[in-house]
Amino acid sequence: MEHSEHLEHTETPSNMKQQIWKTFWILFALTIVDIGLYFMLLSTHSMLKNFLFIALGIVKAFYIVAVFMHMKFERKWLVNFIVYPMLFVVFLVILMLIEGDFTGLVR
Amino acid sequence: MANSTTLTTGKQNIWGGGKSPFSVSYGKLMMWIFLLSDAFTFSSLLTAYGFIRYSFPSSQPNEIVKPMSHVSDQFVEEMQHTGLFSTEHWPLPELVFNHFPFLHGIHLPLFFVSLMTFVLIFSSVTMVLAVEAGHRMAKKEVANYMVLTILGGAAFLGCQAWEWTQFITEGATLHGNPFGPTAFAALFFIVTGFHGFHVFSGVVLNVIIYINVLAGTYEKRGHYEMVEKVGLYWHFVDLVWVFVFTFFYLI
Repeated sequence: MEHSEHLEHTETPSNMKQQIWKTFWILFALTIVDIGLYFMLLSTHSMLKNFLFIALGIVKAFYIVAVFMHMKFERKWLVNFIVYPMLFVVFLVILMLIEGDFTGLVR
Repeated sequence: MANSTTLTTGKQNIWGGGKSPFSVSYGKLMMWIFLLSDAFTFSSLLTAYGFIRYSFPSSQPNEIVKPMSHVSDQFVEEMQHTGLFSTEHWPLPELVFNHFPFLHGIHLPLFFVSLMTFVLIFSSVTMVLAVEAGHRMAKKEVANYMVLTILGGAAFLGCQAWEWTQFITEGATLHGNPFGPTAFAALFFIVTGFHGFHVFSGVVLNVIIYINVLAGTYEKRGHYEMVEKVGLYWHFVDLVWVFVFTFFYLI
C-alpha cells in the first residue's frame, strides 16, 4: 500500500467554516436583491438594467469562486489563468446583447 | 498532513522547473482547465440567448395579473388575448414561470425558480463543508455532508423535472410555444437541459465519492483531495445556475 503521498497545495485559513457561512448569507441576500430589483424595475426597458443584473451575477460568481472554490487562497498565476479568459467572455456577452438590439431593428 | 514546502520558495523563479508554478496538484489543475472550457460552452449558449432575446422587442409591462392573485386554467389563452403573449415580442418571465407545486391556480411569479436557486446554493455550502472536513481527515463528517449535498442535487433535479413538465403541459416544444417566439422555449429546453445534465453528472460523481469515503479509500490515501476536485465541479454547476437564472428569469 502506498504511504501518504506529498501533495502540492496552498493553505486553508483556520476560520474557513466562518467564511463559508458568511459567503452563504451574502449569496442568499444578493439573490433576494436580484428578485426585488426585477419587480421594482419591471416597467423599465433599458440596456443598463441588463448590465445591472449581469453585474450582480458577476458579484455572486466572485464569492462562489473565491471562497467555495478556494480561489482566494491560490497562487496568483492560477487566478490570472482562469479569470483573464472569462473577462473576454463578459465583453462578448455585453457586445452581443447590444448587437441583438440592432438586429431587432432590421428584422 | 504533509507540510507544504512549496510556499517557502516564493521569491525564487517559479517557472525555472522542479516545482509546480501553480502550487496545485495535477488533477486539480486539470479540473480547472476543464471548468474553463466548460464555462466557454455555457457562455456561448447564454450569449446566443442574449442575442436572440434582444433581436425581439420586449413585452409591454404586465398591469393585469397581480402577484398572489387567482389565475384560471385558461391563463395562457387569456394572456394571448391581452397581447402579453405574442410571437412578435419576447414574453415576460414572470408570466411564464408563475407556478408552484401544490399551489395550483395562484399567480406566484418566479417563486419556484428562487427556491431552486436557494436549494442549489445550499448544496454548494454543504459540499464546501465536506471539503473543509476532509482537510481535518474527519471521515464521518465528510460522509454526512456528502449525503446532504447529494440530497440537495437530487432535490434540484426534481424541481427542474417538475418545471419542465409544467412547461410542456402548457404546450411548449422545441418548435413552438404559446408564450412567444419559437426560440423562447427551444432555448429554455437546450440551456436548462444542458445545465440539468451537468447537475445529474455531478450527483453521480458525488455518489461515487460518497461510496469511496465510506469505504475508506481516501483515508488510506492520506488525503481527501478527490472530494475537493469533485467539489470544484459542483460549485461550477452552481455558478452556471447563477447566470442561467440571471439570463432566463431576470433579463
